Amino acid sequence: MKKVLMVLSIVVMILPILSACWNQKELTDLAFVMALGVDKGENNKFTLSFQLVNPGNVSSAQTGGGQGLPIAVYKSTGDTLTEAARNATKKVSRRLYYAHTNIVVISEEIAKENMLDVLDALDRDPEFRTTTELIIARGSTAEEIVTTLTILDKIPVKSISNQIKSSESMLGENMSINIDDFLSGLLSKGKQPILNGYRLRGKKSGAKKASNLQKTTTDAYLESDGLAVFHDGKLQDWLSNDEARGVIWILDKLQSTDININWNGKKKALTVAPIRSKTKVSAKVINEKPLINIKIENEGWISEANTNIDLTNPDVMNQIEKKVEIETKKQILATVKATQRLKSDILGFGEKVHLANPRLWKRIQNQWDEEFADLDVNVKVDFYVRREGIRTKPFWSTMKQ
Amino acid sequence: MEKAKINASQLFVLVVMFEMGSAILVGLGASAKQDAWIAILVGLAGGLVLFLVYYRLYMYYQDIPLTSYAQRITGKWVGRFIGLLYIIYFLYCAARVLRDFGELLTTTIYTGTPLIVINCLMIFTIIYGIHKGFEVIARVGQLFLMIIYFLAIVGFGLVIFSGLINLEHLRPILENGWKPVMSTVLGETLTFPFGEMVVFTMILPYINNPKKVKVVCLSAMVLSGINIALTAAINVSALGTDLFVRANFPLLSTISKIKLANFIERLDVLFMLYLMVGGFFKISLFFYAAVAGAADIFKFTNQAQLSFPLGTLVLFASVTIASNYAEHIKEGLSIVPIYLHYPFQVVIPVFLLIIAFFRNRKKNAEATSNPS
Amino acid sequence: MSILSSIMKKKKKQRKNDNYRQKQDPLKPEDLPILREYKENIRRIKEEFGDSADIVCRDFKVSIHKGALVYVDGLADNKVVSDFLLEPFMEKEIIPERIDIFQYVLDQAVALGSVESIADWNKVYDSLLSGNTIIFLDGCTKAISGETKGWEKRSISEPTTQLSIRGPKDSFTETLRTNTALIRRRIKSPNLWLESFKIGRVSQTDVGIMYIKGIANEKIVKEIKERLGRIDMDSIIGSGYIEQLIEDQTWTTFPTTYHTERPDVVTSQLLEGRVAIIVDGTPFVVTAPAIFIQFFQAPDDYYSRFDISTGIRILRILAFLIALMGPATYIAATTFHQEMIPTSMAIAIAAQRENVPFPAFVEALIMEVTFEILREAGLRLPRAVGQAVSIVGALVIGQAAVQAGFVSPIMVIVVSITAIANFSTPIFAMAIAARLLRFALMGLATILGFYGMMLGLIFITIHLCSLRSFGVPYMMPLAPFNINNQQDVFVRFPIWAFKKRPPFMSKGNIVRTGENQKPDPPKPNDIQETKGDK
Repeated sequence: MKKVLMVLSIVVMILPILSACWNQKELTDLAFVMALGVDKGENNKFTLSFQLVNPGNVSSAQTGGGQGLPIAVYKSTGDTLTEAARNATKKVSRRLYYAHTNIVVISEEIAKENMLDVLDALDRDPEFRTTTELIIARGSTAEEIVTTLTILDKIPVKSISNQIKSSESMLGENMSINIDDFLSGLLSKGKQPILNGYRLRGKKSGAKKASNLQKTTTDAYLESDGLAVFHDGKLQDWLSNDEARGVIWILDKLQSTDININWNGKKKALTVAPIRSKTKVSAKVINEKPLINIKIENEGWISEANTNIDLTNPDVMNQIEKKVEIETKKQILATVKATQRLKSDILGFGEKVHLANPRLWKRIQNQWDEEFADLDVNVKVDFYVRREGIRTKPFWSTMKQ
Repeated sequence: MEKAKINASQLFVLVVMFEMGSAILVGLGASAKQDAWIAILVGLAGGLVLFLVYYRLYMYYQDIPLTSYAQRITGKWVGRFIGLLYIIYFLYCAARVLRDFGELLTTTIYTGTPLIVINCLMIFTIIYGIHKGFEVIARVGQLFLMIIYFLAIVGFGLVIFSGLINLEHLRPILENGWKPVMSTVLGETLTFPFGEMVVFTMILPYINNPKKVKVVCLSAMVLSGINIALTAAINVSALGTDLFVRANFPLLSTISKIKLANFIERLDVLFMLYLMVGGFFKISLFFYAAVAGAADIFKFTNQAQLSFPLGTLVLFASVTIASNYAEHIKEGLSIVPIYLHYPFQVVIPVFLLIIAFFRNRKKNAEATSNPS
Repeated sequence: MSILSSIMKKKKKQRKNDNYRQKQDPLKPEDLPILREYKENIRRIKEEFGDSADIVCRDFKVSIHKGALVYVDGLADNKVVSDFLLEPFMEKEIIPERIDIFQYVLDQAVALGSVESIADWNKVYDSLLSGNTIIFLDGCTKAISGETKGWEKRSISEPTTQLSIRGPKDSFTETLRTNTALIRRRIKSPNLWLESFKIGRVSQTDVGIMYIKGIANEKIVKEIKERLGRIDMDSIIGSGYIEQLIEDQTWTTFPTTYHTERPDVVTSQLLEGRVAIIVDGTPFVVTAPAIFIQFFQAPDDYYSRFDISTGIRILRILAFLIALMGPATYIAATTFHQEMIPTSMAIAIAAQRENVPFPAFVEALIMEVTFEILREAGLRLPRAVGQAVSIVGALVIGQAAVQAGFVSPIMVIVVSITAIANFSTPIFAMAIAARLLRFALMGLATILGFYGMMLGLIFITIHLCSLRSFGVPYMMPLAPFNINNQQDVFVRFPIWAFKKRPPFMSKGNIVRTGENQKPDPPKPNDIQETKGDK
């Protein structure tokens, strides 16, 4: 009797396991959402564009495939993100799968108005990765960014995320910013978030056609364009070029870039490329007033010298270093001025004050925007030229003689 | 009582696994924000003091578990009642941890799977382990500790090499003074996980070398306390205070941020591996204590028989103790510590110790006065 | 579990009740005396053997005394019988009449090393069937048994299943005596003890256990003897029979005794305090107790240097894990945890699977089963046909199945890696365990992904930790962990660091290596006086 009971209860315990496979999803039933575009639709609705990958057309090793386009884009609308995503299932034959989503593109319009309504769905969903890159579509809709085909990378998303990375390491006008980073900037009182801007240039109509892939220069192409500055969760303004680079520099994300300096009256005669850069930002409180010190340590090499100059002479090197330091300092200060003008502390100075003097911070944190606008900032740059490439004196020197 | 003997190193492993088990997974000490690690270390200090209470009790009665010596100390019926309460407490704790564990899996990876299925499979494995005896559990612990430490070191290395650590997140230290830290200690870190060492009152009689118990347990607690504090510090420095407080499972968030060489990423499964092993031991020990206690009170000779019915009980309790995760957490943070942890971890043991002290003094006095 | 054990208990009870059954085989003749009339004896033998053609009876005369000798053709050496029995008998011409002819023959006529006088029929049969020659003399109630064993035996050859690169090239044969000699040649110590048993009511198989007195744990030796003594079966055909009858746990896929065909392995195990069980008729010697890690130690580990051995051993353990979890991991990753796979790889796999009609589990199962069938077929086929099978297999698995869109190329890769990994476990019995559990893990992975798989692995670990082999915990130096015995687990320490025998195997006489065994060569200049390199 006892045994019968035991067997019965074991069977009862095991039964539910045999009945179904709940979370099972075959690879072939999934549609990998590579990028998600969020646009503003009619009636304040969201329009989502899903860039789905078509695996058979990406992987060239497979015989028989490889003819069609690598991606397919579907659109759907809804009052919330989830609703829009669910509505998409009316059109897509497979289950939308977000774990491999690399990029979320948000239109400028949404970024300016209701950016915050987009974020929680992305943050909460366990399938969605918060390490997903977040970008703003500048001057075009998110849909246009998502639908564009690129020639070098089969999957356009990869082209975007790789471009941001290479720009971060080679130029320093963009940096990789994911949902997590954005949220932590949003939540911190001593810091405002930034995002990368992206723009579709060229003939917009041709961007999504296969013909765009059959030329060496495409009719339409994607390009990163400046940094979006946010304030209280709303897009406020854009910073670009040198100012954007200054931001990345102060945030200590810059690895390499190029700096032009004048020499002997010739403008932009020398180009110096830093290869390592270290930025330290610290705050000090003097007379109940915060003071920010930025210290940048750089080392690099001379990548171009378009003038007659003796690069073997250490004294010349010293002079170059001095000039680079001055030039850098000028740029950094310009960046700080620009952000102060926007009253948006994207540089994280507030957090530094917080660390340096929590007591003072408590008192001023609520009017930090004003405090930030007229903050005193000191910049100190140390630059070291380490080498000058595989030539000593440029050919200019011989020509001049 | 089961005829099992475990040695000092096995005890060490069990204490470490038990303490770290679920404490590393949840955002322990999150209410102290960036000072979570301080709260954990202070909680550890308190836990060590509590353990000394249990240890004194163990010194008085080396061969019998708590449920037996409660009867010796307070008399047969009161003692049995206390023992019964402890069994229920251990079962409840086992169910709680099982729920935690199931919730984690159903919220992160197995979103479509019913909780009861996840829990059912887990408890089934645990019943099998208990069925095989305590010695086997101790041995499994030794094997898994090696694996866990290996994983932990790998994970730690990956977190560092991915450049996630930003020590500035840990500052300013003690921003709001000691007050929030102390309230975190009293409300959370003292009782969970360090006060839960009360489970070992049921297990210490199996040790073959009573002399080493004190050193082994205290050092194991210190080691696990440091590990937990270190994990909390890493979580804070990788996630920042805000995310650390908002995340259900901060370690999971930290690990999912790992990104190395464009290939080593999305290592959630590492976390799950750890979670399963840690959860297994935590539940197993609570559950074993309940089974051993029940066998002791109801005079069962074959305690393996009890594992199945009690296991079923734990399973159903785990899905019914709360209707959703928010309720479960609310209970865990505000009700359980005050109404369950404090009485069972502090009040009753101290009270038992005081009576035992006087009883034994009397006995000792008689013993010394008689021969003279 | 409990149901199983309760059924077992019932069986045990039944077995006890069956004790009335005699150990004697009913087919055996009762104890009869040997008759005076020798012809009667011969007649009886012929009758008992049903006039089998290989029973040779030959009458003879020693001077005037009549007699007959009986032997089994093929078991006894014809030449020995004629040279050392018949010839001396026939040469004797004059024998004093009034003499005890039996004693005379025993003492003076038989020219063999081992001669015995026997009085009852059971012994006659035993001795006859072991290849001895029985001599009946007219008028005597006893018989003489002379050892003339000499059947055709396979000569010692190279091991076929456990190969080694640097190790000795001899292996056990089917003959018990040859095998004991192979071991004794390697351990020249009187402490190497051999005890013999006859097991099997009908087959009467010779079984010997060997151990080194003073090194082997007496309790384990006693336990093994007891378990051997308990065996009550009609026949023991191979050492596998013995293995299954004396192991601790039947309900396990893991081997709890070790078997090998290499004398050097047995030797080293004896020196660690294990006991060897040698069964006549099997070229595999069983040793016990066995521990888990032992199945990953190959003889070459000890013949090559420690750093290399360590690397290879870790590789082997890794291979075991792959063999255990390979397809299950694939199933779990592709059906539950697609987020774990790096994006480009996920897309590549998805592209390959696009046209595959089956879900991952079915696909994996088909491929695995196909492979197992191929392996099983290849195992026992004549060599000439075997090649054909492997060609067909390679075509079916490797090419046609993929081209037909039946399975994805990645699945073929997974299955082949798993299969190759499975072959790298030195002992087949352990490899088979992984093979079987692999299917269980695949099932679990299909139901609940990594969670199911991990539960399965925890289950296996609990099971492994609960196993014992003759009282020794199966996972021994790891769990219970013993810091002093890690020389031969994951890392194979330098040979001079093997200072002690594992204490869980042997009791007493623990030290095996002297102090200062670490090579400590003198400075180069002391040996060869160089005057600087030129």
